[in-house]
Amino acid sequence: MSASSLTSILIWLPVAGAIGVWLLPLSRYATGALAMVFSLAEVGLWIEQAARFNFSQSGLQMEERAKWFGDLGVSYHVGVYGFSLWLVGLTVVAMAAATGYGFWVGRDRPRGYFGLMLLLTGATVGVFQAQDLLLFYAFFEAMLIPLYILIGVWGGARRMEATIKFVIYTMAGSLLMLAAIVVYGLKVGTFDLVDSPASASRWLFLGFMVAFVIKAPLFPFHGWLPDSYREAPPEVSAVLSGVVAKAGLYGMLRIAIAKFPEPTSFYRTAVLALAAAALVYGSLLAFRAADFRGVVAYSSLAQSGLIALGLFAGTDLGFDGAILQMVAHGLISASLFLIAGVVERRTTTGEFRLLGGMAKGRPALATLLMTVGVISLAVPGSASFAGEFLILAGVFQRAWWWSAIGAGAIVLAAMYMLRLISAVLHEARGSTVSDEALDLRPGELALVVPLVAGLLALSAWPAGISHHSFFGPSPTETVKAQFK
Amino acid sequence: MAGPDVAWYVATAAVLFGIGALGVLIRRNTLVVLLSLELMLNAGNLALIALSRHWHNGAGQIFALAVMAVAASEVCVGLGLVVALNRRNLSLDVDTLSELKG
Amino acid sequence: MTAGSWLCLLAPLGGTILILLCGTRIPRVAAAWIATTSVFVAFGGAIWAFLGVRSTTGHVGELTTAWTWLQSGNFHAGLQLLVDPLSTVMMLIVSGVGGLIVLYSIGYMDGDDEERRYFAYIAFFVFSMLLLVEGGNLLMLLAGWGLVGLSSYLLIGFWHDRPSAVRAAKKAFVMNAFGDATMALAFFILIAHTSSLSFATDFNVHLSSTATNLIALGLLGGAAAKSAQIPLQTWLPDAMEGPTPVSALIHAATMVTAGVYLIARTHPIFEQARTVELIAAGTGALTLLVAGLVALVQTDIKRVIAYSTMSQIGYMFLGAGVGAYSAGMFHLVTHAFFKALLFMTAGLAIHALAGEQDIRKMRGLGRVMPFTKWCFLAGALALVGVPPFSGFFSKDSIVASAAALGTWYGWIFWVCGIAGALLTGLYTFRLWFLVFGAGSAAGKAGDARPGTGSPTAIPGGEPSPFVREHYHRHGRFEGPLTMLVPVGVLAVLATVGGWLQWAPKWHPFTNWLAPAAQTLAAAEPTSTQEYYTSAATVIAGLAGIGLAWAIYSERKLAIPAAPFWRRLLEHKFYFDELYDALFYRPGVSIANGLRREFEEPVVLQTSADIGEVTMETGSLVRRIQTGLLRTYVLFLAGGAAAVVLAFLIAK
Repeated sequence: MSASSLTSILIWLPVAGAIGVWLLPLSRYATGALAMVFSLAEVGLWIEQAARFNFSQSGLQMEERAKWFGDLGVSYHVGVYGFSLWLVGLTVVAMAAATGYGFWVGRDRPRGYFGLMLLLTGATVGVFQAQDLLLFYAFFEAMLIPLYILIGVWGGARRMEATIKFVIYTMAGSLLMLAAIVVYGLKVGTFDLVDSPASASRWLFLGFMVAFVIKAPLFPFHGWLPDSYREAPPEVSAVLSGVVAKAGLYGMLRIAIAKFPEPTSFYRTAVLALAAAALVYGSLLAFRAADFRGVVAYSSLAQSGLIALGLFAGTDLGFDGAILQMVAHGLISASLFLIAGVVERRTTTGEFRLLGGMAKGRPALATLLMTVGVISLAVPGSASFAGEFLILAGVFQRAWWWSAIGAGAIVLAAMYMLRLISAVLHEARGSTVSDEALDLRPGELALVVPLVAGLLALSAWPAGISHHSFFGPSPTETVKAQFK
Repeated sequence: MAGPDVAWYVATAAVLFGIGALGVLIRRNTLVVLLSLELMLNAGNLALIALSRHWHNGAGQIFALAVMAVAASEVCVGLGLVVALNRRNLSLDVDTLSELKG
Repeated sequence: MTAGSWLCLLAPLGGTILILLCGTRIPRVAAAWIATTSVFVAFGGAIWAFLGVRSTTGHVGELTTAWTWLQSGNFHAGLQLLVDPLSTVMMLIVSGVGGLIVLYSIGYMDGDDEERRYFAYIAFFVFSMLLLVEGGNLLMLLAGWGLVGLSSYLLIGFWHDRPSAVRAAKKAFVMNAFGDATMALAFFILIAHTSSLSFATDFNVHLSSTATNLIALGLLGGAAAKSAQIPLQTWLPDAMEGPTPVSALIHAATMVTAGVYLIARTHPIFEQARTVELIAAGTGALTLLVAGLVALVQTDIKRVIAYSTMSQIGYMFLGAGVGAYSAGMFHLVTHAFFKALLFMTAGLAIHALAGEQDIRKMRGLGRVMPFTKWCFLAGALALVGVPPFSGFFSKDSIVASAAALGTWYGWIFWVCGIAGALLTGLYTFRLWFLVFGAGSAAGKAGDARPGTGSPTAIPGGEPSPFVREHYHRHGRFEGPLTMLVPVGVLAVLATVGGWLQWAPKWHPFTNWLAPAAQTLAAAEPTSTQEYYTSAATVIAGLAGIGLAWAIYSERKLAIPAAPFWRRLLEHKFYFDELYDALFYRPGVSIANGLRREFEEPVVLQTSADIGEVTMETGSLVRRIQTGLLRTYVLFLAGGAAAVVLAFLIAK
């Protein structure tokens, strides 16, 4: 198989898997096993893709292109850049863990469930690899549909409310983006992301940004976030905050910043302000949230703000740091939501006042939650520290106060994360924590440990991502040249 | 061979179409509604073929063939539904079949 | 020598990983010995590195890079280790004293439920500390800095079912995170100007004085947080919630002195920002007095020693701040010996009394624990700075270099140093007389707080009823051998460790450090200054001891009532209350307010409202869907007719 067909295979293999799962009348167990095979095959394929990726070559790699609506300049065009490669990797790894979690807990209606998970994998990989605006839009929407159903059917008690909010918010953003895509594509005569020229239209920029700001999300467009993250099944929350939110941030970089340089600098301060607001606001609310997933949800809001700070800093360090932080935070929030699910399964609740003292006699749970927790509060030496350090050093070159705000938020992060850790693990045993509540089972370890191992590996060598996302010595130049 | 003027054909088609449309609108028997639909389709066919001949353009005739194929499939499905309804002893009155109301 | 430094760094990390991976498959005692061995292997590596540096000409040291840790644009920072005179001194102290303390822990922690976790943590702490002192650029230093904070959090909160321990651990971490943040900000300025965080590059550029001052301030913030200097000192006393060996290792011997190391390491920056450097010295002078005063009224044996640590680090800051880096570092070394010794003897007492830490209950302990008593005395004399114990040699040089400045603030620092010596004598020997003393009249008036002392007088320094009831021996000795041996070794070191250098005549330590941190000429005291300063500090220290003897042993002097001052000291100058009112409470109420006034009514309600409106519109529109086929057809026909009509009109 040629290197370039890998990109397409990575997109369509899980979709084929989804169709297979839906059509084949397999048993509950066999369905889950088949879905796992597909998810793991994706991870394998991605490793192959990363191994064949040439980091010393500029421009799009492993490109595939076919005419679609030739008259309109729409084509099926996929390929990867360094930074999209990492996000694809994050997607397949997190999706495999999430699918594994669904398999482990034995979700109801397995064929529907696993089919949707596989479809979600394919669509998300597609978002990160699409190089045509209409194709990007198609994948962006295709990614949302399985999420609607997954939250609405397999979610918690208030799932319908959560789903409706999620649908309305994301649809509103997506439709504005569609309008922007159509206008932009017809104006420049092609929908191809690589070929199309830069534009100076502020309206189009805003049209795109609305969709991405809602998806990321940034303050104050996060109305859908707390409910969705709380009510979705934990593995879906893991994917939602770990991977899908990154699609919004990716869109900012790939489309809004790269294609609209003039509007980007015009609105830079405004976007930075929104991002800083998300960072501080999310951190403050995370500090007062009363439950496990609430803390992680608001901390995701804060992290989205931080990453957007890096992207819109428009400096070398900001761009590199943002990519590094996207991957690091993706792994962190995926692990945290899975651990939240594990805790909820044992205690039936995520509320802090009912939890506590779980460290005693559960060393694996304690060690993993502690490790992920301290990495997520960016303890110096960790991958997320490297990412946050680069982002804040990058945005410092724009203006010092953004970094000062960010540094303050890091102290807040220490406060809310330690609060979470001690509320779950330490002090007196909570009323819902029984002696029979087991430590992590081998199956659960097999899901969380790889994610944590990935984080530790990144902590040992963050330059692996920070220096291998953009070709050439200066990411700013690469972005200015629209990644060519 | 000179036949009647094309206007006659179109007029006939219009009359047939009107009868069909009226039938769909006022008849309540599912079977008759289906018959009326067929009438409308064939009115369309008649107009297509007549005009195709008038303008010496084959596209209309090809289109008519496609319409016939669609009509055949539609009859298959429609009659199948009618038979299914009948076998379950359900009424064939279209006004009572309103489960899909909002 | 670089191999030695890598061995030194990685051995404790290997120990941690091994303990973690083995889990419950190995017995507890094996975990303990793995940790101990790994730290002693690190000590071997440190010696290797030390000998390596000694054999190079000029003692210049060497930088080794494993790989590029972080890179972006033209900024890059390697995973680098620096072996030079300064870092080897720190490596030897950290791994040497650390090894003794880990060995001591074997006895102290024996029987705890989660010994394995403890030893994994403590080995990880030693690794972090070594990364801090060996880190070859500022980013690696910051990484070690943060990991040290993390492991201290883990160790303070080791007994995590105690709410007070968890609270103390969180407090320590958050205060340190604040310090990390100010350091990071300083680094951002450096990166913005030089695109680099390497020691060599950054120390040779000359920035604007504003930038340099800000950088130095940021570094000072980090140093003050880690070293518990005013105004970031409040976490240290609370941190005594951890096991005693932890207090000895982290909160006395190594971690809290990291701030002094930082100033010595980054002294070229501080020298360009001389004002900030003097602020550091002033901070030290202020802290040494404040902490000394607070130590006078504490009743928890470990808290007294903790305040004494703050006070001694104040001395080191004073030394490093005026520019006498080697004097500050020398005090760091001797302090590591005698303070670890004090904590460990206190640990022996606590261990023997089944966890009791209140000095008012310990009276007469010296009678049953003579070894502990004499070792504690060695540590106490070293702390007060009585010749020939080690503290004398190091503390005096610091105070003398303040005199050497010759300016008005130099003399203020000098007076603070002397006053601090008096306080040191007083609080140290208050502890000594109350716990180990055999004072004839002991117990009549109790300790500091009237009426709270022991109710009955016990003649002739007999053990108090509490001691008699709770004291228990481990076999023939006062504790297990693993505890007694390190205490003995440290007692010897605390006694003779200072002979390394006697500033007026003999200064190999200063010469050794000179290539890495040359003492400023302005802070180089003359022999005369050394002599009269020594005389003054020793007299002040002895006066303090005498005062303590008169008050706590002989009861010849009564403590003045002064209720206002007493309350002020007992509340540690109200710093905790102040921070609570200034930061924590407002922070919490802002967060709560945002949630109540904005998030719930505005953001969440808006999205709920949007949902509601959509649903209602939907239910209005759905009336059109009658379900009647013929209505649909009517609409269809009407629509078609409308379209045709529209076209006709348009024509």
